[in-house]
Amino acid sequence: MADIVEAVRTQGLFKRFGQQTAVGGVDLIVPQGSFAGLVGPNGAGKTTTLSMVTGLLRPDGGLIHIDGVDVWRDQVVIKSRIGVLPEGLRLFERLSGRELLSYNGQLRGIPRAEVEQRAEGLLKIMDLTEAADKLVIDYSTGMRKKIGLAAALLHNPKVLFLDEPFEGVDPVSANTLVEVLQRYTASGSTVIFSSHVMELVERLCDWVSVMNRGQIVAQGPLETVRAGRSLNEAFLGLVGVRDGGGEEGLSWLGATSR
Amino acid sequence: MAGRDLEVNAAGQAGDESDESAAGRGGGMSAGLSDGGSTAEPDGGGAARPAGGSTAEPGGGGIETVRVGPSVFVRLKLRLIAGNLRGSTSRVLGFVFTLVAAIAVATLGFFLMASLRLAPEDVALDVGIVLFTVFLVGWTLTPLLAFGLDDTLDPSRLSLFPLRTGQLAVGMFATSITGVWPIATLIIMIGAIAGLATGIGGVLLGVVAVLLLFALCIVTSRLVTTALSGILRTRRGRDVLAVSVVFFVLAAQLPNLLLNGGTSGDPVALLHGGASVLRWTPPGMAAHAIADGGVTAVVELAVLAVLVAVIGRLWIMALRRALVSADASTEGASVRNSKGLLARVLPDGPLAAVVTKELKYARRDPRGRVGWFAAIAVTGVMAFSLSRDQTGTGSIALAIAPACIGGVLIGLQSANAFGIDGRSLWMNSVVYGTERDWRTDLAGRHLAVATIAAPLLALIAVVAALLAGDLLWAVPGALAAWGILGVGLGTGALTSVFLPYTVPERLNAFTGAAPGQGGIAFLASFGALIGGALVALPIALPVLLGLPWVSVLAVPYGLLISWGGRRIAGNAAFRRYPQILGAVAHSS
Repeated sequence: MADIVEAVRTQGLFKRFGQQTAVGGVDLIVPQGSFAGLVGPNGAGKTTTLSMVTGLLRPDGGLIHIDGVDVWRDQVVIKSRIGVLPEGLRLFERLSGRELLSYNGQLRGIPRAEVEQRAEGLLKIMDLTEAADKLVIDYSTGMRKKIGLAAALLHNPKVLFLDEPFEGVDPVSANTLVEVLQRYTASGSTVIFSSHVMELVERLCDWVSVMNRGQIVAQGPLETVRAGRSLNEAFLGLVGVRDGGGEEGLSWLGATSR
Repeated sequence: MAGRDLEVNAAGQAGDESDESAAGRGGGMSAGLSDGGSTAEPDGGGAARPAGGSTAEPGGGGIETVRVGPSVFVRLKLRLIAGNLRGSTSRVLGFVFTLVAAIAVATLGFFLMASLRLAPEDVALDVGIVLFTVFLVGWTLTPLLAFGLDDTLDPSRLSLFPLRTGQLAVGMFATSITGVWPIATLIIMIGAIAGLATGIGGVLLGVVAVLLLFALCIVTSRLVTTALSGILRTRRGRDVLAVSVVFFVLAAQLPNLLLNGGTSGDPVALLHGGASVLRWTPPGMAAHAIADGGVTAVVELAVLAVLVAVIGRLWIMALRRALVSADASTEGASVRNSKGLLARVLPDGPLAAVVTKELKYARRDPRGRVGWFAAIAVTGVMAFSLSRDQTGTGSIALAIAPACIGGVLIGLQSANAFGIDGRSLWMNSVVYGTERDWRTDLAGRHLAVATIAAPLLALIAVVAALLAGDLLWAVPGALAAWGILGVGLGTGALTSVFLPYTVPERLNAFTGAAPGQGGIAFLASFGALIGGALVALPIALPVLLGLPWVSVLAVPYGLLISWGGRRIAGNAAFRRYPQILGAVAHSS
């Protein structure tokens, strides 16, 4: 693996919350230019890992490098290179979509005229032009994810981190998100997104990292990780789900019992 | 049902506020589903659903269903109270405190009511009438101020369960009287029987009267909550209500101000006047019935009973409607895409971005509006009381103090500058890479506050100076107030960084912080107040004591302190921002 250029690399990343170890020594590797999926069951530590990698949460231990730069050492360089769409999608609710984008651009020191031009383009491609002057608080989930992605893309980052970008998004919006992201990676930029929808990861990603209980249990090109099976089967095998069982207790469930 | 679940889930994603509306829609859907199912309801698709009820129909798995009586709801309420206390020492302490306070209030109230027997009969009756009215008004208004404090109060949470509206109403009534304060109210009301009743008839009718009035309080309170729950589930409704909370709080100050104003010298005459107005209101009739104990009392109680029945009926109707209506307010209108004057003057960049955003938030976020209204209102009230205290010739302190108080209160609003941003603060955090960035952010916030506050304080100073008798006093007043504002912003920057806390999105009049952070919130605002007062003392004290020329130094002094505060706080914020982010992003 020495020959691939890494967009993201963590070593022994570690985070505890009280007694509970949320992330216990994660070595995440994402090659440059890849469309990478970070998959894992709920509570596997995906969000915690992404928060630490994007500098929103201070790790208890370990190193994080993006483009070869230590995240917690040179924040100016890192923060201009990454775009983030965190979990939960708390945006500035009382700004309109357009205002949110221009706020973001100005905060990053992009000239106002340039911000307006980019914002207009992003709003158009995200199909948000009509809703651009509505307050974000009145947006639907799909619209929020789209405006969040637009805000994350505004400064043309080299690496994009998305936490559950497709959760609760309608198929039409999801399609828009996918198109934008594919165009973005085609130019050589890197996308890392977390998800637990295996079909989607299988369809989009060329690189997969599987997390379970705060650890990376498998990582590599999609074909290597799934090894001939569907990604879902490979995933269930990796996280160790028992087959069947527990059905006896539900004998009353279903139409036959009537 | 899977698709349904997805949609409920999706709506839940949009934010905490929307999960109730999702539940509401789900309720309508499930009612429709059940109509197509086993039994068809005659009134078709309403909230009334076929339920187990007393005629045990086959349930899900071919078992006999058990009747869902009020006791289920009472146990649910008790369990919610217990669950809310679990694992949090501060909440347990808070509950114990509430319990002790309620017992004290109930005991004291009971004996005070009972001691009305010692007063002349007509005075006792007047007091009874007024107090009963206060109870009813209190019960009507409290849910407006405290909505969101109690999980069982929102019927939409129960809308997916197969309950008839009647069952739901009885259950909600039962949960409403399960609580510390309802029981305390009942105990105090029972005290009125001891205080007012004449003869055995009075006691017997008194028990009925108290129970009816108590029921009236509960049912009215419920009707208000339910009728409003539709509005409260909409974003705009909540926005409006949040701001109106300020006016309720102000209205509570009104009697105090009027009494201070001394409109009437004789309290007994005042009491009698009030009571004669309230005599024929429902609580007035209840109080009179206890004291009368005769035929009139029976008639009055009959009227009261009818009223309870009517309001109860209205409540059930409102409940039925509330369960199947959804939030349509998200089809909101667009906002004007204006840049604002200040943004045009300021150089392009983060500073202008933060200032513009903060000014928009002061206007659009109800929490921002509440903060500003409250600061102005409290200043007005304090200025008014001050001027009442010192009648006759005005002094310079009287002209300067109101603007200074305003400066303190507005400065206090910035004691938790990142709190209103809450979880959206990540958006700034992923951009700021240096200490200087955080200092700029704080400077932007301060500039936004100053843009609104500086003219406002000048206006207050002019009004106060005019009232005190010399317009020239407005000059030291405004200068001192601006200086104090600067000090407040400086100390506020420090508390914002070192003692940040979450400002809940659902405002109510009783808490300003997310559960479990009350201590930090108290410490932060108290620290900002005391710290600010101490730092402001060198300029405020001489001016108030009659050395108005010192106010010339106030503005540079304020600027210096705010600059120093920003410097220390901004540098610390760069190191502490993950902690700040965690502290302001508590789920509320």
